[in-house]
Amino acid sequence: MLISRRIEPSSNANHGWALPLIWGVLLAAAVLGMPYLESVFRWLEPDARQVIYRRAEFSTLLGRHLLVVGVAAAVTILVGVLAGIAVTRKRGQDFLPLVGQLASLGQTFPPVAVLALAVPTLGFGTLPIIVALMLYGLLPIVRNTLAGLQGVSTDIKQAALAMGMTPWQVLHRVELPLAAPVILAGVRTSVTINIATAALGATVGASNLGDPIIAGIVNGNMAYVVQGALLIALLALTVDSLFDAYQQTLRSRLSAS
Amino acid sequence: MIELSHVSKHFGEEAAVDDISLRVAKGKFCALVGTSGCGKSTTLRMINRLIEHSAGDILLDGQAIQSYDPVKLRRRIGYVIQSTGLFPHWTVARNIGLVPRLLKWPRDEVTARVEELMGMLGLPIEEFAHKYPHQLSGGQAQRVGVARALAANPDILLMDEPFGALDPITREKLQDEMVKLQARLHKTVVFVTHDMDEALKLADHLVVMRNGRIVQQGSPLALLQHPEDPFVDSLLGGLERGLKQAALTRVKDHMTSLGQSLPAQSRIPADYSLRQALSMMLRDHCDRLTVVDQQDMPIGELSLRKIVKEAQLDKVSARDAY
Amino acid sequence: MPLTDALPIAKLNQRTWHPNAVLLSLSLVMLAVIWLLNPVSVAPNRIVPGTSYHLLDAVGWFGALLISLLISALVALALLPTRANYRAMLALVIVMLLLMPFGLMVASHWLVDPGLPQARLSIGAASWSLLFILLLCLVELRLRLGLSRLATTLLLSCVGVVWWLSASLWLQNMALVQEFQAREQQFWRATLQHIQLVSMAVGVSVVAGLLLAMLMRRYAKLQKIAFSLLNFLQTIPSIALFGLLLAPLAWVAANIPFLAQLGVSGIGTTPALIALIAYSLLPMVRNTYIALEEVSSDTLEAAKAMGMRSSQRFWQVRFPLALPVLLEGVRVTTVQAVGLTAVAALIGAGGLGTFIFQGLGQAAMDMVLLGAIPILLLALVVDASLGALADALRPGGHE
Repeated sequence: MLISRRIEPSSNANHGWALPLIWGVLLAAAVLGMPYLESVFRWLEPDARQVIYRRAEFSTLLGRHLLVVGVAAAVTILVGVLAGIAVTRKRGQDFLPLVGQLASLGQTFPPVAVLALAVPTLGFGTLPIIVALMLYGLLPIVRNTLAGLQGVSTDIKQAALAMGMTPWQVLHRVELPLAAPVILAGVRTSVTINIATAALGATVGASNLGDPIIAGIVNGNMAYVVQGALLIALLALTVDSLFDAYQQTLRSRLSAS
Repeated sequence: MIELSHVSKHFGEEAAVDDISLRVAKGKFCALVGTSGCGKSTTLRMINRLIEHSAGDILLDGQAIQSYDPVKLRRRIGYVIQSTGLFPHWTVARNIGLVPRLLKWPRDEVTARVEELMGMLGLPIEEFAHKYPHQLSGGQAQRVGVARALAANPDILLMDEPFGALDPITREKLQDEMVKLQARLHKTVVFVTHDMDEALKLADHLVVMRNGRIVQQGSPLALLQHPEDPFVDSLLGGLERGLKQAALTRVKDHMTSLGQSLPAQSRIPADYSLRQALSMMLRDHCDRLTVVDQQDMPIGELSLRKIVKEAQLDKVSARDAY
Repeated sequence: MPLTDALPIAKLNQRTWHPNAVLLSLSLVMLAVIWLLNPVSVAPNRIVPGTSYHLLDAVGWFGALLISLLISALVALALLPTRANYRAMLALVIVMLLLMPFGLMVASHWLVDPGLPQARLSIGAASWSLLFILLLCLVELRLRLGLSRLATTLLLSCVGVVWWLSASLWLQNMALVQEFQAREQQFWRATLQHIQLVSMAVGVSVVAGLLLAMLMRRYAKLQKIAFSLLNFLQTIPSIALFGLLLAPLAWVAANIPFLAQLGVSGIGTTPALIALIAYSLLPMVRNTYIALEEVSSDTLEAAKAMGMRSSQRFWQVRFPLALPVLLEGVRVTTVQAVGLTAVAALIGAGGLGTFIFQGLGQAAMDMVLLGAIPILLLALVVDASLGALADALRPGGHE
C-alpha cells in the first residue's frame, strides 16, 4: 500500500491532471483575453452598441461565482458528510430511514424551484443563492455518504473491531477511506450542478457569471450570452475534470492496495 | 452419440483446447475433470456451438455439427450451468416450459410436460409452479435448471458444474438423484466438474484434462487402477485412490458363497460398496462379513483377504462395461 | 490486564424503553418554530414588503394553545412508540395539516383590514417550517407503519383537496390565492405548456436514447464518442445552453424561411426543446445502455443455449430484464426535464417558469411561489408515479 501510493500518482497523475490544467489555462485565457476579442464578437452582433459585457470585469464575476459556489460547497460538504456519519452511527440510527428517504426525495426538487422558494424568505442578492445552492447540493452528498458508508462490508468493519480498533478508529481509518470515492462522487455531482445553478442567481440579483447571459437574453445581445456561457462552461469543465483526476488517483490507490 | 476428433480452440494465439479426441456413446455419462482453466468448459460449449471450434471435427450422430442450424441444434441439447441461468422475470413453470414453447408444442402438451418434469424432480406443482427463481433455494433452483434442460426430451445433456455452487449435503442429494434419473432416462451426458468424487460417482467415462489437452481417459476403475501420470494420480487422491476404487466396487461382485465355518457376526447388504465393507471391518474389529440380501437373508460372505487380494485384479464391474 | 477486565459489564437494567427520537425531536423543533418564528405577514399591496405577526397575534391565545397542545400530544405519543400510538400520531399529523388553512383563515380575519382590497396575507417562515416538519413526520410515520406509497398518496391528496377548497372558498385574502385568481387562465395554460414541453422532450429522448443505446452496443467506437459528447453537454449549465442556442436558431429563422414558417425561431419553443432534448439524452442513453448491458451474461448464455434466436433473446430476455432500470432512467430524465423547463421560460418558451422569472423581475414573491410550488408538485408526482410504474413492472417483486 505504501509503496504503491508512492508510485501510482506519478505514473497516473501526469495523464490525469493534464486535462484540468488545460481547461484551467483556457479559462484564465478566456477571462483575461475576452475584452480583446471585440472584433470577433462584433462579427456576431454587428448592430449592437456594445459587444463586450462591461458592467463588471470578467475576473470579478468569476471570483464571485467561485465564492458563492465555494462557500456553499464547504458548508454542504461539512454538514452533509457529518450528517451521513451521524445517522450511520449507533446513536443516530433512528434518523437513518428518514434521512435516507429525504436524500433520495430531494433529488426530485428542481434547482430553480428551490432557488425561487429561497428568495421570498431571504430576499434578493447573494444570500438566497448560497442558501439555495446549499439546500440543493446537500442531498447528493448525504446520499453518497450514506451509500459509501453502508457499502463498506460488515466483515471489514467487524475485522477492524476485532483487531481492537475503537469505533472512532474504525470510522476514520477504515470506513471513511473506503467510502471516500463514493462520497467524492457525490461532492462532484453537487459542485458541478451548483456551478450551473449559481448562474441562475443572476436572476435574483446575485452578480456572477450568469449576469452576461441574463443581460444578453434580456437585451437580445448574443455576444453577451456567448461570453457568459463560454466562461461558465469552461469553469464547469475545469472543476469537473479536477474532480475526475482526483477520483482517478483515489481509485487507483484503492485498487492497487 | 457425440464424437470429437482432433478438436482445437484458439483464442488469438492461445489454445484453450488443444487437439482433443473423445467419444461418448449413446446413453453414456461422460465427465470432464480438471482444474479451472483447463478447457473443460470450452470443450462442453463447443458441442452446442456456444463457442465455435477452430479445428477438428465434432460429430453428433455421425454428422458434423456445422451442418446443423445452431438454434435448432441447441433446442435438441439440454444445457445446465452452475449459476442456473434461470430467467429471473419468469416463473418456474414458464422457465421449464421454455424449449417446448420455442419448438411450438401445443399449449396443453407444454403444461403436461412441465408438470411431469416438476414431479420427476421433486418440485410439488402447487408450491413451486408460480414462484420466481429468486424465491428458490440453491438446490431448488438447480432442480428447475435440470428440468428446463430436460423439457424437450433431448437425447443429449450438457452440464457445466451444475452442482458446484451448492452446499455439500444438497450437492450429494442432487448427485444421487442424478444417478437415478440417468438410470431411468439414459441420456447421453457430458458433465464438467472439478470435483473428482462427483465425477467418479456419476460417470461411465472419465476424461481428465489439463492445459487444454486430455491427459487420460477411460472408465473410472481403469483410471483408478492405472493413473498414467502424477497429475491424474493426485487428482484421484494419491494414497486415497485405493479407497475410492473400493467405493466403486459392489460387495456382491466380490463375495464368496457361504463357507462351512460359522457365519460372521457383522452383516452387510450386498449392494453396499467395498469401501463401506472395509469401514465396517475396521469398526467391528473383524476380517469377515456376512453378506445379506434385501430381506436380510445371508447370501454369502466377504473376507478382508479377498478384498485386498482380488480387488486389484478384478476388472469386471457393472460400470466397466464401456 | 486480566482478560476479564476487558469484558463489558453485563447490563442488568436492559433498556426496554426506547422513545422515537426522530418524532420527538421533530415535534420539539415544531414547538420552538411556532413560538419563535412568525407564521404570517400582512402587506397592504402586492409589492410592499409585509409586516410579520407572531402566533399570538395571528390566531390568538386559544389557537396558540390548541396548536401547542396538539404538538405536545405528539411529543407524549413519541415517548411511547407502540403501533397504536404511531397510528394516533399519524392521525394527529393529518389533523394538523388539515387545520393549517383554518389557522390562516383566522389570521386573515383578524389581521387583514377589509377596507383595503389590495391587502393580502402571506405565509411566513413559521408556517412554512411547520408544513415542512409535518411532512417529515409523515415520511417517518409512513416508514414506521409500513404504509404503501398509494396509501400515503391518498392521504396527502385528501389534505390537498381540503386545502384547495378552503383556499378557493375562504382564503380570498391570501396572497398566493390572489395571484392565482388574477391569472387563473394564464396559470392553466402555463401548466399545460410545461407538461407538453416535458413530455415532448422526454418522448423524443426515450426513443432516441433507446436507438442510440442499441447502436452503441453494436459499435463500440460510437459509444465512446457519444458518451463523451453527452457528458460534455451536461457540464454546460442549462441557462448557458439555452442562451447559446438563441444565436444559431435566430440565424436559421432569418435565413431559411421554410423552417421559420415551421415555427423555428431564436427564442421560444424551438431552442427550449432542443436544449431539453440534449440534456435529457445523457441520463436516458446512459441508463438504457447500462440497463441493457448489465443483464446477467449467464442468463443470456442460457437463453442462447436453450436455442433462442437473437431477436427472441432480446425481446424475451434482455429487454424485459432491463426494463426496470430503463424506467428508472425515464424517471430521472423526466424529473430533470420538469426543472429544466422552468429555466426555459427565460428564453420565452413559456411554462410555469414564466411566473418565477416574472415574479422575480417584479419583486412579487407570491407570483414566484405560484410558479415554484406547482413545479415542485409536478416533479414529485412524476417521481412517484414513474417509481410506482417501475415497481409494478418488476416481475415477481424481483429484488
